[in-house]
Amino acid sequence: MGLKAYLYDIWEAVATTAKGMRITARYGVDPRETITLQYPEERWEPSERFRGFLYNDIKRCTSCTMCVRVCPVDCISLEAVRGADKKMVLASYDIDIGRCMYCGLCVEVCPPKSLKHTSGYEKASVNRGELILHFVHEDASEIKSRVAKQVAEAAAKAEAEKAAKAAEEPQASGPAPDDGRKELPAGQPASPPAAAANPENQGAAEKKPAEGAKEDLGKPEEPPKKGEVETP
Amino acid sequence: MLESLAISLVNAVPVLSGVPLWTITLLIMVVVAAVVLTFALVYAGLATYVERKVAGDIQARVGPNRVGPVGLLQFLADGIKLLLKEDIIPAKADRFLFVLAPYLVFIGSFAAFVVVPFGVGLIASDLNIGIYYVMAITSLVVVGVMLAGWSSNNKWALLGGMRAAAQIVSYEIPVGMALLPAVLIAGSLSLQDIVRSQGGLFGIFGWNLFHNPFTFFSFFLYYVAALAETNRTPFDIPEAESELVSGYHVEYSGIRFAFFFLAEYGDMFIVSALATACFLGGWHVPFLSAEALPASWGNLFSLGVFLTKTLGLVLLMMWVRWTLPRLRVDQLMRMAWKYLVPITFFNLLGVSLWLLLFHGKGIPQMIASLIG
Amino acid sequence: MKSHAEALPTQEMLINMGPQHPSTHGVLRVILRTDGEVVVNAKPDVGYLHRALEKIGERVTYAQFMPFTDRLDYLASMNCNAAWAWTVEKLAGIEVPERAEYIRVIVCELNRISSHLIAFGSFTADMGAFTPFLYAIRERERINDLFEDICGNRLTYNYVRIGGVSADLPDRFLEKTKEFLDYFEPKVPEYNKLISYNKIFVHRLANVAVATPEDAVGYGLTGPNLRGSGVSFDLRKNEPYSVYPKFDFDVCVGTGERGTLGDCFDRYMVRINEMKESVKILRQAIAQIPEGPVMAKVPRMFKPPVGEVYFRAENPRGETGIYLISDGTVNPYRLKIRAPSFVTMNIFEKITRGLMIADVVAVIGSFDIILPEIDR
Repeated sequence: MGLKAYLYDIWEAVATTAKGMRITARYGVDPRETITLQYPEERWEPSERFRGFLYNDIKRCTSCTMCVRVCPVDCISLEAVRGADKKMVLASYDIDIGRCMYCGLCVEVCPPKSLKHTSGYEKASVNRGELILHFVHEDASEIKSRVAKQVAEAAAKAEAEKAAKAAEEPQASGPAPDDGRKELPAGQPASPPAAAANPENQGAAEKKPAEGAKEDLGKPEEPPKKGEVETP
Repeated sequence: MLESLAISLVNAVPVLSGVPLWTITLLIMVVVAAVVLTFALVYAGLATYVERKVAGDIQARVGPNRVGPVGLLQFLADGIKLLLKEDIIPAKADRFLFVLAPYLVFIGSFAAFVVVPFGVGLIASDLNIGIYYVMAITSLVVVGVMLAGWSSNNKWALLGGMRAAAQIVSYEIPVGMALLPAVLIAGSLSLQDIVRSQGGLFGIFGWNLFHNPFTFFSFFLYYVAALAETNRTPFDIPEAESELVSGYHVEYSGIRFAFFFLAEYGDMFIVSALATACFLGGWHVPFLSAEALPASWGNLFSLGVFLTKTLGLVLLMMWVRWTLPRLRVDQLMRMAWKYLVPITFFNLLGVSLWLLLFHGKGIPQMIASLIG
Repeated sequence: MKSHAEALPTQEMLINMGPQHPSTHGVLRVILRTDGEVVVNAKPDVGYLHRALEKIGERVTYAQFMPFTDRLDYLASMNCNAAWAWTVEKLAGIEVPERAEYIRVIVCELNRISSHLIAFGSFTADMGAFTPFLYAIRERERINDLFEDICGNRLTYNYVRIGGVSADLPDRFLEKTKEFLDYFEPKVPEYNKLISYNKIFVHRLANVAVATPEDAVGYGLTGPNLRGSGVSFDLRKNEPYSVYPKFDFDVCVGTGERGTLGDCFDRYMVRINEMKESVKILRQAIAQIPEGPVMAKVPRMFKPPVGEVYFRAENPRGETGIYLISDGTVNPYRLKIRAPSFVTMNIFEKITRGLMIADVVAVIGSFDIILPEIDR
């Protein structure tokens, strides 16, 4: 290494260092370059499409289980029973946001658009259980037994109507298998999944408009004998 | 100096005449030591705050701003946290050496504060071998760092310790060589004498920095070499966070770690103070002589001037740290032996020749004599 | 008299670098056998982050695997998303609307910039200069803002869909992107001034860990690592897919400008220059993007025909290849992902021999590996 290269080496080191230090100094003294957001006091505005915590509007949810099936990490659990009016009654709807990866697939597939991303992103907790969001606040078993009771009542009513009809115009063998099927759920009202098999009678169809009217009128919690179901 | 102070104290306060003189001297020593140590600790604490603030500003961040007004008390919070942390000594460590190492580092760095000429009369002990004392006592740091690396029984720490030893030993030479011009000009090793020699009516041109071209380069050579001696970026290879995790103090926690940390900031101050005293005129400012002022005001004024210059250099160190990347260990050695050592020798030769040829006169003096 | 070595016998030292180490970019473990500071052998040990992504792929549906591709290379999620979509579309022969392809290219190139920013920033941080890292993060934050506007997430985007993209561009997105490009373009020369041509930085990288062109090809390096060795190979040019043929851009290759061809500095500079090229592509894409639908008709119960397909895309870290066998059901039969970072690790042992410990860090940084991709 010649002397010239030796000196050039030193010069280069000094010059490039000075260049770098000029840049850092500019950032150092210019207060406009500070970009920190003082977090708890200042917050950034989440964008419209921000995928925060999930929220399910259970008034609109049809318990179709599309979200459950599409979720790649199985963080949504849903329990529903078939109500007296053929529609599904939500017994429980939990989202484990500790497991959720905020991919948004469930929101995209939701047919009634009841499942949504909120702009929430703060939920530190010391307990994993707190990370499970419950959307149905009532106890699942209570809802189930209540719905089962309603189903049984509706079935009994339908039975009575049918019996009355049968008494009015006694016909031949036509409705006989129907009777058989109706007998089954009425016989075991405590088992809600089996209750899903019942509603092939007109009784439920009759109740439908009445219930819809009630839904429109009142708050969802008010009619305790019904699940919170809305016609899509 | 302390003895004369003690005698004057005894003369002033008649009650003390019965007490043996050495007791009073000892008492004064303890008080002075306590004052210096307190200053050093407060400085080190505030320096950590400033370092973080500087880093924040440079990096388009804010830095500490929550504890106390604009975060000024952050260092207290950090200190308390470090005090309360569990003191972990690894099971396979050499306990005695492991415990000893931080103290050696701390002592090596803070004992040097004794000879720092803060002001006209503000010096804990104006040793006649001031510069040698600083260089000797700061070498204790190497011992401490090596012990820390060895006793931790951790391979990263060992590598860090070995690097530190190699680095500090290598850079002692250019540091010493770069300081010698100032000693040559003043004709004394005492830091107070060196500062006094830079006074006079030339203003900043009385400073050694502008004495002649060789001293001008000496200052920068000293600063670079000293930067390496304090293990600061770009020469922080013994710590090398991204290579050796954190080098020799990787196994240290709590207050023992804090000792290493304080020592680093203490070192920075010592190095900057030496640069100030030897090249930047110490407590001299242009057009105003601190020595001419009444003693108390003069001391205070000169203290302010000295601290401003020194802390400016400390700030420069921080600025460099947050700009530059780190050298590799072999490049660091190459820099010491192929660049700094020969150049500082050359420089020393140049200064000696200059003093010989021009009878100790600097450029400003010559110009002044030409004009006048 | 005893010889030096007999009097002072030395020993090789075995050091465990990682899985917890600040500069192994995650949980890479390198078993270092060193002679003092000099590396005798450095053996990478991977697998600490294995999540069986390929097996998961066989258990979920084609659409459901999309969010998992986010986790393949989390710094370039969009590219992985798009690679998966292109693979499945190639398998099923789905015609994607042109606007969707343009959107994909825009988000991919934005993500390439953000990924290279992280590569640049973390590399300089590894070299001891922490400040450029924060500057890089600052710029990346703006890209994240754009992505948040477009898909709602800031890291794992899950934006691209099989047959298109999940949603059309939001209002003002193109203007915002343009603003970002105007802001970003002068930043690259500033980085170069601040750190790239810094003497210390150049010295740390030049002539370190040279991968000759033969080695680079032989060990299967791809992407910037291959181009850093002077081999001009870019899938966007050499095997064009999507709408890339419509854009005019250069393939950046290493030139050995500060040392040997194929050293760490060349690999580093390729990334810096590629950011500029991505800006070029983005400007063209913004100017050319047509109107139209963004999603092709894909049935909800998507069942591709029986068959197999291999598709490779130029991702920021190299060539991401996806090999897919379909048995005609809703789930893939077999999925194999060729992750560029994993293949890059092959050359690691060879290239690090005889370097210093500090250089191992430089090698890891210059290859810009990412662990979730290595371990999958």
